[in-house]
Amino acid sequence: MPAVEISDLSKRFGKVEAVKGLSFEVQAGRVTGFLGPNGAGKSTTLRALLGLVRPTAGTATFGGRRYHELERPSAQVGAVLEDTAFHPGRTGRNHLRVLAAAGEHPTDRVDDVLSIVGLGAAANRRAKGYSMGMRQRLAIAAALLGDPEVLILDEPTNGLDPPGISWMRGLLREQAGKGRAVLVSSHLLAEVAQSVDDVVIISHGELRGHGTLEEVLGGDDGPATEVRTPDPERLARALEGRGYAVERAGDVLLVLGASPEQVGPVAADEQVTVLGLAPRVRSLEAAFLALTGDES
Amino acid sequence: MKPLLRAELLKLRTTRTFVVLTASALALSLLVVVLSTTLADEWTEQDVRDLFTADFTGLFILLLGVMGMAGEWRHRTITSTVLAAPKRLQLLGAKTISYAAAGLVVSLIVTVTIMGVGTLILSARDLPTVGLGELADVLWRNLVVAAFLGAFGVGIGGLVRNQIVAIVGLLILTFAVEPAIIGLAPDVGRFGPTSGAPNGLLGLDDPFGGDSEELSPAVALLVLIGWVALAYAAAAARLERRDLV
Repeated sequence: MPAVEISDLSKRFGKVEAVKGLSFEVQAGRVTGFLGPNGAGKSTTLRALLGLVRPTAGTATFGGRRYHELERPSAQVGAVLEDTAFHPGRTGRNHLRVLAAAGEHPTDRVDDVLSIVGLGAAANRRAKGYSMGMRQRLAIAAALLGDPEVLILDEPTNGLDPPGISWMRGLLREQAGKGRAVLVSSHLLAEVAQSVDDVVIISHGELRGHGTLEEVLGGDDGPATEVRTPDPERLARALEGRGYAVERAGDVLLVLGASPEQVGPVAADEQVTVLGLAPRVRSLEAAFLALTGDES
Repeated sequence: MKPLLRAELLKLRTTRTFVVLTASALALSLLVVVLSTTLADEWTEQDVRDLFTADFTGLFILLLGVMGMAGEWRHRTITSTVLAAPKRLQLLGAKTISYAAAGLVVSLIVTVTIMGVGTLILSARDLPTVGLGELADVLWRNLVVAAFLGAFGVGIGGLVRNQIVAIVGLLILTFAVEPAIIGLAPDVGRFGPTSGAPNGLLGLDDPFGGDSEELSPAVALLVLIGWVALAYAAAAARLERRDLV
């Protein structure tokens, strides 16, 4: 059973249909990137999953149960939502103590998570004095408090500096490595590409792409290979003679519909020196734009 | 429910709001008691009893309850609160009980302090005081009213949600609407949530010197229970239906 299952989820706010029949799954032990342009319905989907928004239709469940049906929700699901707020007059430590009390987590865990997110030294400062990055770390500490099996993170790198972003990437991988399911929404595509195993792309509330990162980056136009050679014309003719379409760019050829395993032997047969041979990988941004129709 | 109660009581203890409101209620009540007992020359036992009853604690407790609930929206902490406690009716219940307890604590601190200070000054001036039995009778009534006002404030905060609107609305209700109803239609006004019914339980006379009879303590208690139940139900219906976006 998937750790998270979104099934035919729809949510309408008045005349606006924010999410339309969305379905996807998140597996344990994997980091799933949840991508879409602004207003695509990502936050609404996550909020519906967490019981903060009532779906118009469909279900969003954790191991088959809705969030409010979980026995100890914060011990099973940790969530960081965009723009998480704190009472300005309460210290970071006290904020976590309150959540620990509500979730029946041991008080010792408060100092553990403060240490994990690197906020130990600022724990006794009031939240109103925290920088945006510190607030984000506190929100992450709150999500980790119950050592949950599922982590839901909405734009978790917002406000983090480069070392913080690198730390976040490590945290996501570490959590997935422990067998946890991680669902992370982000608009930083390059960042996501470095952290995720699976990708879900939505636009206008509808699913546009879902699969492993490799599948999504591969696109629908089959494999392609980039090959660099000092004799591009001769190799191009040989490849075209075998039915492949070839695009020329100086000493680099882009062979469409062929994998490196197919291009290499052709070069060997023709005795053409090859200086570089690699599958073409679309950037996540290119895949994203192709799937969402360049509307971001 | 117990973990939620612990969390709500911890929330109360970990910001300055509770201390500031308690200190304000205490300072204002002490000021009135000290001035009254120092300046007035003629005292009856009923005057003493009224003095220890008619403090400003109720208003501060009401505001505390409103701020405890509406503050969740003001500070945008409602999302993390509901994530920690997704059963929203239980959450509202825990808040209601917590602020009833907070009202009780504030009232205990204020009432016992003003009773001690007032009695000391009156004794020093050889003016009449009241015995321990009378003081205990005043105390329990104050505590019960305070608990209900704390709980009622949570309901209002959950219903109105905008903290400023809720506070201003309650001040208008307390200082303008209810007194006006008590003055114009005392038989209706004595059922009011912030003055009418509390006065019945506290045994206070009509503040406008009218002829109407206050509710008996038992009826006043039932009316207060009704007001808290109504406020809870209205706030619960709103909280349960609302999307937190």
